[in-house]
Amino acid sequence: MDGPVIRAVGLTALLAVAPVAAAAHQLVVFASVDCQAVTVEAKFSNGKPAQQGEVRVLDGENALQTTLQLSSDGTALVPLASVDYATGLVIEVDTGGHDNYWIVTPEDIARKCGR
Amino acid sequence: MLRFFNRVTALILALMVATAAGAQDRPKVVTVNYPLQYFTERLVGDAADVVFPVPTDVDPSFWRPSISDISDVQSADLILLNGAEFATWIDRVSLPRSRVFNSSAAIEDQFIVTESITHSHGDGGEHSHEGLASYVWLDPVLATAQAEAIAAAITTRDIAPVGEVEDRLEQLRTDIAALDQTAADVFADLEAVPMIATHPRYQYLARRYGLTIASMDWEAGEAPNPDQLAELSALQNQLGAEILIWEAAPPAAALEAVEQLGLQNVIFPTLAHEPTEGTFVEAYQKALSDVSDASQSLQN
Repeated sequence: MDGPVIRAVGLTALLAVAPVAAAAHQLVVFASVDCQAVTVEAKFSNGKPAQQGEVRVLDGENALQTTLQLSSDGTALVPLASVDYATGLVIEVDTGGHDNYWIVTPEDIARKCGR
Repeated sequence: MLRFFNRVTALILALMVATAAGAQDRPKVVTVNYPLQYFTERLVGDAADVVFPVPTDVDPSFWRPSISDISDVQSADLILLNGAEFATWIDRVSLPRSRVFNSSAAIEDQFIVTESITHSHGDGGEHSHEGLASYVWLDPVLATAQAEAIAAAITTRDIAPVGEVEDRLEQLRTDIAALDQTAADVFADLEAVPMIATHPRYQYLARRYGLTIASMDWEAGEAPNPDQLAELSALQNQLGAEILIWEAAPPAAALEAVEQLGLQNVIFPTLAHEPTEGTFVEAYQKALSDVSDASQSLQN
């Protein structure tokens, strides 16, 4: 029994390259809301901040609200006054090779605004 | 006569209102894949609405929800996660921590690490990455552990009566144990038969039954192109593989092309989505039946 098990585990590990490759170097995007603004943070899965990249802010209808650039510390600030957030916001970050997103629902914003 | 009709109409209206109110009052449970939905539905009966929100044509591992999808998820009384890095969207939204439950937290020590790729990128130098195999439920023993964890989460939150959940869990355990026994019998003859899967989804199945399953990286249900067939043929020759496992049925021509390579075709749905026919247990049994047929063909 040990033989087949070891072989199965070994082969499974060896042949699982494709999905790992797809997930490698993932860009991690996080957005928090404080009622005044959405703070966007983008870093790579190794912990290093994404030093440049485009931040696209879309609404619930997928309409582009605004575009801005990441700061060198991997953050960007989206004032809520500058966007229509009634249907929520999708924050997309593209560093030119890696991209990811964060979803902010209307309820997320309402909670932070005490509603 | 008119009075009679008025009474009947009033009664029907009252029933409709009561039904609607009952439906609204039922707790809502959201799951990230079909197995969790199936286990939960079996466990709660009519006590809750169980929702798996991913469209049938989208891989639930990589679903990108809309804002309204997430609003719906956030409103659930219980959000059941698979764990093992399944469903990337859960790391891209805010979920109410007190209502989120990881159904595989107790079996993390049994996760399979998928390693490894070593390469260079940017200024990071040469490095490798690890991931986790996610399709935990294809091992019936681990599936049972997930069902047991879900039962505990349900009863802790008073989503369904404890006694009823325990009874249903026992029935579910029995069904999955029967599945495990059938699988053990079917795969017993195949421990020495190398197999290839069209996608790397079967790590837990392979470990549970001592199988050797190598993987291609084909799209589910699609016919392979000539290059992919050539890669398959090369891997077949390298491993001496005799069975190709498809996660979804491809066009007939693709099955024929694989047969011409000397491989037996087996459709073994991963069940991440609800199968087109039958339930989790029924579809799993059907897949095992197909494996058994392929095994018989190899012996003849």
